[in-house]
Amino acid sequence: MAIPHHPTSSVLVVGGGVGGMRAAVDLAEAGLKVYLVESLPWLGGRVAQLGYMFPTHDCVLCRGTSDHGYGCTRPSISPAFLDFNRHPNIEILTNTDLIRVEGRAGDFTVTVRRRPTYVDPEKCINCGLCTAVCPVDMPSFFEEELVTRKAIYKMAPRALPDAYTVDKVPRCEICRRCESICPTGAVNLDEEPCEQNLNVGAIILSMGYALSDPEEYGELGFGRFPNVIHSMQYERLASRSGPTEGIVLRPSDGRVPKRIAWLQCIGSRDQKYPYCSSICCMYATKEAMIAKERIPDVHCQIFIMDERAFNKEFNAYYERAQKEYQIEYTRCRLSAVKEDPQTHDLILRYPDEEGRMREDRFDMVVLSLGSRPPDGARDLARVLGIDLNPYGFCETDKFNPLETSRPGIYVCGTFQSPKEIAETIIDAAGAAGDVMRLLREHLGEHLSSREYPFLWRPDGLVPERDVRGESPRVGVFLCRCTPTLDGVIDVEEVAAWARTQPDVAHVQLVDYGCFEAGQDAIRKAIQEHHLNRVIVGACSHRTHEPLFQKVTRQAGLNPYLMEMVNLREHCAWVHVDDPAGATRKAKEMLRTALARVRLAEPVYKEAVVPEPRALVIGGGVAGMTAALTIADAGYEVVLVEREPELGGNLRYVYYVAEGEDPQRLLRDLVNRLVGHERIRVLTRTEVVSHTGHVGDFRAVLRTTTRTGETVEAEIRHGVTVVATGGQEWRGAVYMYGRDPRVVTSMELEEMIVHRPDRIAELDQVVFIQCVWPEGEVGYCSRICCTNTMKNAIRIKMLNPDCQVIVLYRDIVTYGFREAVYTEARRRGVIFMRYDEEHMPTIRSVGPQLELVAWDPSLRREVPFYPNLVALSMAVLPSEGTERLARILDVPLSQEGFFMEAHLKMRPMDFVAEGIFVCGMAHYPKFIEECIANAQAVAGRALTVLTKDRFYIGGVVAQVDQSKCVGCLTCVRACPFGIPKVRYTDVGVGGIQGAAYIDPALCQGCGTCTAECPAKAIQLLAYKDEQVLAQVL
Amino acid sequence: MSIKDNGHEEFVPEIVAFTCIYCGYMAADTAGALRLKYPSNVRLVRLPCTGKADVRYILEAFEKGADGVYIVACPLGNCHHVHGNERALARVKYAKSLLDKIGIGGDRLEMVFVSGGMGATFADAARKMTERVKELGPSPLKK
Repeated sequence: MAIPHHPTSSVLVVGGGVGGMRAAVDLAEAGLKVYLVESLPWLGGRVAQLGYMFPTHDCVLCRGTSDHGYGCTRPSISPAFLDFNRHPNIEILTNTDLIRVEGRAGDFTVTVRRRPTYVDPEKCINCGLCTAVCPVDMPSFFEEELVTRKAIYKMAPRALPDAYTVDKVPRCEICRRCESICPTGAVNLDEEPCEQNLNVGAIILSMGYALSDPEEYGELGFGRFPNVIHSMQYERLASRSGPTEGIVLRPSDGRVPKRIAWLQCIGSRDQKYPYCSSICCMYATKEAMIAKERIPDVHCQIFIMDERAFNKEFNAYYERAQKEYQIEYTRCRLSAVKEDPQTHDLILRYPDEEGRMREDRFDMVVLSLGSRPPDGARDLARVLGIDLNPYGFCETDKFNPLETSRPGIYVCGTFQSPKEIAETIIDAAGAAGDVMRLLREHLGEHLSSREYPFLWRPDGLVPERDVRGESPRVGVFLCRCTPTLDGVIDVEEVAAWARTQPDVAHVQLVDYGCFEAGQDAIRKAIQEHHLNRVIVGACSHRTHEPLFQKVTRQAGLNPYLMEMVNLREHCAWVHVDDPAGATRKAKEMLRTALARVRLAEPVYKEAVVPEPRALVIGGGVAGMTAALTIADAGYEVVLVEREPELGGNLRYVYYVAEGEDPQRLLRDLVNRLVGHERIRVLTRTEVVSHTGHVGDFRAVLRTTTRTGETVEAEIRHGVTVVATGGQEWRGAVYMYGRDPRVVTSMELEEMIVHRPDRIAELDQVVFIQCVWPEGEVGYCSRICCTNTMKNAIRIKMLNPDCQVIVLYRDIVTYGFREAVYTEARRRGVIFMRYDEEHMPTIRSVGPQLELVAWDPSLRREVPFYPNLVALSMAVLPSEGTERLARILDVPLSQEGFFMEAHLKMRPMDFVAEGIFVCGMAHYPKFIEECIANAQAVAGRALTVLTKDRFYIGGVVAQVDQSKCVGCLTCVRACPFGIPKVRYTDVGVGGIQGAAYIDPALCQGCGTCTAECPAKAIQLLAYKDEQVLAQVL
Repeated sequence: MSIKDNGHEEFVPEIVAFTCIYCGYMAADTAGALRLKYPSNVRLVRLPCTGKADVRYILEAFEKGADGVYIVACPLGNCHHVHGNERALARVKYAKSLLDKIGIGGDRLEMVFVSGGMGATFADAARKMTERVKELGPSPLKK
């Protein structure tokens, strides 16, 4: 195929895990076309295997987006991936490999090869008859080989695409039972692989990671001792969707384990794999906590090197694990696991705190596996022409953290470096933001609309018929779904019964309602019989409601005039041995559906035309990057900075551990920003008020002029980006402020850069890590350990004879930063651990500073007389964060940083749509992390700005203010803090003050409606009479 | 096990289960996909969240002839709507006390927490509730 010589509006996303899906949704929402390629037959990646996420212990992948979509969308992050709800701009290519890439940024030609799945997903109705007859058992990859599956199988009961696949073995050729039993002829064992060329403008790599191989560590017994399992196996055992629905049992005897040990850093921080895998400390903590919740009196012990709880709320979680859950953390790296061959108990020998050797028995040992580059990364890198780093992960530039070495190819998630879900999501949105900048001319080219609950292009629909005032004419469509439904339920009898029911104008049996012919039949009947209400008796709302809502709308009816009845999953399939009962229940279900559909009312959304302008608050590295990304993509930006100068903390960072020059980055950003035609920079300016909703905000900005006067101006904008940053604490501890020899980490950096001669003269420098205000919530400030390493190494470079001592609690040099820790040790930096019981103390003794620290190996106090003490002070939210939170009406986390909509799945959004957070305002982070985060919010902002219009409301709560007494019950009940009692509104009897629920913000749960004592609130599509009609 | 209604036919209790469209509905789907059997007298009513389960819905279900009612929610701490299920739990406790007071019996009302993958637990809850209500006999409101 010839390469077309024009750029394209398509993007290729490689990898269908949580990162790839996030990137795909954002790109699709910005009006670009996306090909999502996944090498496995289903989307979901590693995250689909996890039962719980730390530290929230939730599985709410359903909160990946805020759509009022259906159900647990696992293994998806958005209803936009459900088969019948698919975003029109996303094309999913599963079981597909990338084999060739040609061209350049803006114009790539990519060749992909799809391996056959031997099942046509369009025809597969998920009846499972094939699996039932399949004679071949194979270990289940998804269940980490804990159980077996058949050769024709689905990863899990819910998979995307929702269809079976064949893992073909030679025996299948002769057997072919699945082929002959399939009722829809979906199985074709002779299917051939096929190749396809795609023309794309950019590529995002989101291939995830591979697990370390536990068998490389033979001394730990994996594969030899049945009760040594690895962490992903434990995840499956503990997952409620796992083979035991969450009950962890010992593999050797099926007994509930009473003593479980976790061994950390398996395949991390060792000679062969010198980097830190970043996630294991937290997931082991999570696994132990879940064990504690489920198994009474279980003893959980985690053998760690350092506990690395370095993200938002992680430290509180780690403390809870120790104090509330009594999980024991032992600092030791074990060299061997022994087994008692009689009982299969495991024996661990390790030194305790006092240094004495102990021997303990455990029922189960879990190996916390680290991350490796994804399988086939080397080959793929060759195909793509990109560089890998020495560890085999994708090489990126420090200050362009999401760009690979080849222009136009971006990377996100764990293929870049080991990281957790929230950071993968940030990266993914950031890579999408980068692509939007590259393909700016094409943004919005593929319009989509969320006017209806299913996603659909706005054009080509017949006008909607107004059915108000008509008496109900209900059409009942019963799907046979042969043989899954009509094999159990007597559908003829049900149809005959339905004909006798009041208001039923038409009853029809369809073979497969979801097939094109079935959809046609329904559309035709709705129009021919002039129906104004529709009931579809078929399968799950979760999978098929969007489809039948679409069919209903295509026939000219509002989609909410259709009611589905789940006769398959909720009736036929669970009452297989009770056909009479199933038939009776089917009628019951139809009867209540009829009662409900009679009361059905159309539901509409409100169109908003977004104001194509962004407000960015904060002019540090995050704010500037976000502003530039949005402006480069073609939209106006107003950036406010309260200081007279741009740059924020970046102004005081002179070098980074990896060696790049942050001051060059600063100059570059400021120059580009100031000269940008679409960016207005307002320094000495603060936001004093902020109102409105997504697409249509108004803010008042107050600027203080050089002469001290203040000027206020109002702006109108579609999105707001919060990038107000953080600050180094400067508390009067350890004689800071009283003795000039005690400095903060940032001050030390200034000295190293500006007075290297003075640094070279020092004989002894002591660093104290984790210095935070007493009584405040403790948390890991994330950047200090690495900063200490970089400064310690600099001191050693200036004067190798200088003794450098680091007093620390846990060294948190996560990911590839572990290399600088290794380097510091290699250069002779001494590390001494302290804890709460042995805090270092400092005093002046004559002209000298005396610092006393506890040496845990000598078990006694050691005095130091340093020339300089550097304190790694906590990073706090910047001054005025609380005030800004009040102005924006967004919450703060317990640490005082801005609190996002969801810690894991929506780390850069607020519940209030259209407001985003990035950089240190979210949590302390490194420059490159701030950049990725800023690009992510820019990408998220662009999904709003690129739309010609978008829709708010839908299934939301509405207040009848004439009944409202303003009692505040709804305000207190709402899990999202959406209802407000507004003084300007008038309630019952003309009283001042009534509740108002913003349709742009309401999440549609209905909690307020159930609590409202005056019944003044109703949830659309779930009004009280509509629900009660279904009750009996 | 089975209680005969006046020695005639076996008493088949009518049970209404309110589910959220997230984990609750999903668990019911999983039970279906795994072909796990439970009695056919349990009928589901879909709500956007169990936080929507009004005490009134529960009481009206009994008034209209249900012998038992239960609510199927996401696991505590795992609600799609953050606290919706906790609100529902508080209401269930309150409704139980009301049912005890008026002589219907709080035991006829229950709340279960399942995750979307827990098909077996969902089916088990349906069976257990049916057994329990069978033991309790028909709702006093039916007499």
